[in-house]
Amino acid sequence: MFRKVLIANRGEIALRILRACRELGLSTVAVYSDADRAAPHVLEADEAWRLGPAPAPESYLRGDLILDIARQTSAGAIHPGYGFLSENADFAQACEQAGIRFIGPPSSAMRILGSKTNARQAADEAGMPRTPGCVHALASPEEAADVAAGIGYPVMLKAAAGGGGKGMRAVFSPNDLPSAFASASSEAERAFGSGEVYLEKLIERPRHIEIQVLADEHGHCVSLGERECSVQRRHQKVIEEAPSPVVDPDLRRRMGDAAVRLALSAGYTNAGTIEFLVDDNRNFYFLEMNTRLQVEHPVTELVTGYDLVHLQIRVAQGEPLPFAQTDVQIRGHAIECRVYAEDPSNGFMPSPGRITRLLQPGGPGIREDCGVYEGWTVPVDYDPMLSKLIAYAQTRDLAIARLLRALDEYVIGGIRTNLDLFRRILNDADFRAARIDTGYLDRLLAATPPPAAENGHGAIPAVAAALFEATRPSANGSASNGHGPASAWKTAARRDAVGLGD
Amino acid sequence: MTLHLEIGGRTCRVEIDPADTPGQWRIRVDGQPVAADAHLVRPGILSLLIAGQSYRVVLDPDNADPALHIGPQRIPYRLDDPRSLRSRRRQASAEGPATLKASMPGRVVRVLVEKGDAVAAHQGVLVLEAMKMQNEVKSPKDGRVREIRVSPGDAVSAGDILAIID
Repeated sequence: MFRKVLIANRGEIALRILRACRELGLSTVAVYSDADRAAPHVLEADEAWRLGPAPAPESYLRGDLILDIARQTSAGAIHPGYGFLSENADFAQACEQAGIRFIGPPSSAMRILGSKTNARQAADEAGMPRTPGCVHALASPEEAADVAAGIGYPVMLKAAAGGGGKGMRAVFSPNDLPSAFASASSEAERAFGSGEVYLEKLIERPRHIEIQVLADEHGHCVSLGERECSVQRRHQKVIEEAPSPVVDPDLRRRMGDAAVRLALSAGYTNAGTIEFLVDDNRNFYFLEMNTRLQVEHPVTELVTGYDLVHLQIRVAQGEPLPFAQTDVQIRGHAIECRVYAEDPSNGFMPSPGRITRLLQPGGPGIREDCGVYEGWTVPVDYDPMLSKLIAYAQTRDLAIARLLRALDEYVIGGIRTNLDLFRRILNDADFRAARIDTGYLDRLLAATPPPAAENGHGAIPAVAAALFEATRPSANGSASNGHGPASAWKTAARRDAVGLGD
Repeated sequence: MTLHLEIGGRTCRVEIDPADTPGQWRIRVDGQPVAADAHLVRPGILSLLIAGQSYRVVLDPDNADPALHIGPQRIPYRLDDPRSLRSRRRQASAEGPATLKASMPGRVVRVLVEKGDAVAAHQGVLVLEAMKMQNEVKSPKDGRVREIRVSPGDAVSAGDILAIID
């Protein structure tokens, strides 16, 4: 039994885990980089220890330092969150050898399921449907051409060690295969340190639907329903929901059973997610397994009523699962938006910087897992996710209405965010009718955006702006420290006004 | 005081003076009086009651371009100070040196020109990386590179001067 947990992560997920530890009476150790000295997870933890400079390879990816800190603080367990070291089997093994509980699966199961080609072999052994294609890394472009000819074009080349869309290439004709093979392989080499690629049949217009599983160390494994994650931009999820509008109880049971078989066959324990592609005829194909807690786990928590992080910790303490598969019920509908510091009107350019204003939504059915505060400066060094806004209601339509209501309450000032993008998606007829697949969002973004609503407020904005200007502490000063060409004239004007000149 | 504003795609003139009652203001927009009950909830957050309609207006004091949030809308505005006409004209004529500044914190990846080079308007001057995305910083005008203040690998903060184009 451990009494203290080191959280090897930052941002909203570090806070999420910290809260669960508090609720279970465990004390917490945060780690931080120089960019994160004043980050929310440092402020909230019982202890906080410095890792190193801002870049992740010098801080949050330093497994050796993290283990040292765990030893020095007598932390009995490490929760890796998602990203960073969460799917690093070497780190999990180092924890095992140091006698510190890694809150996740054993390193042996991570090695089987973390490599996509190994996982495809495991899927075959577990009798799970997968996309046609090979289960080994391809030795050469010639071998790739043979496999592709066997299953028929179009095909998808993928990195064996991959994820996040890196090292992936869709190939529509044999002529394009050699160059796609070379570029996928070199991209995989750069991103993952392994250039191994494999090939599978491209499923056209698929949905991305995943099953949450949870296994204890006594041979019990349950599935907790599915998440629909088809709304993606460049293979990155943007909106997730549970349940999926196209999954009925029969399909849910069949996908869940297949997922549980795979997890048990690999000796998996703790929380994990099996990702599937689902085609128009609702055939499902194994895609990959994520051997960690997912970003989008809250939608599953809301529709099942289980706290996944609590359960992760209890399973890691050696407890048996406190419920059986027949106890799992899906109730209501939950939708999550990933709120990012980026500017959709400007090519999704990241928008780091200081958050000068933060007004957060609340009220019935709203959950916000937030990793920032007013006054916090979003660093340039990490993923620009600020928070996850999640709505829960009895039906999908009500969840959409609730989310739109919450988005209107939400104000994030000082940086640009993608809040408007969610309004656009949630108001889109295809999304509302659940006519979505993994290409849906790219098509929506390629379409002409709806005309910007006239600000129907008449003179109100002018009155408000004038009131702000008239009540400004001084009519010059720091607020006029303009950057960028848009306000260059204004800056000059202010300087003139206060007599500084050029 | 009288303010000239550029807001919501139009310009307007607002006369605004405190009334006798604290929190009350005498306001005219383009000469038309507006009866507004204004309450500053806290700095940057305003409750406006106009003809019974309630508005929560939040100021986004972005240094580069301030904006208002009213409900779901973000409405940028500019304060057009009449005393600035001289400097506006100067800026508008694209004469005089242009200063390229970093619009966000990041790292310099490449510098595409050298001191003394002639550059055209919209020509790339250097490449900045922020949050793993590379963005080209372009010259706002035709001119000649007077000075480059950064080198590849440098970390820059928002507002840092990167280069000056004559």
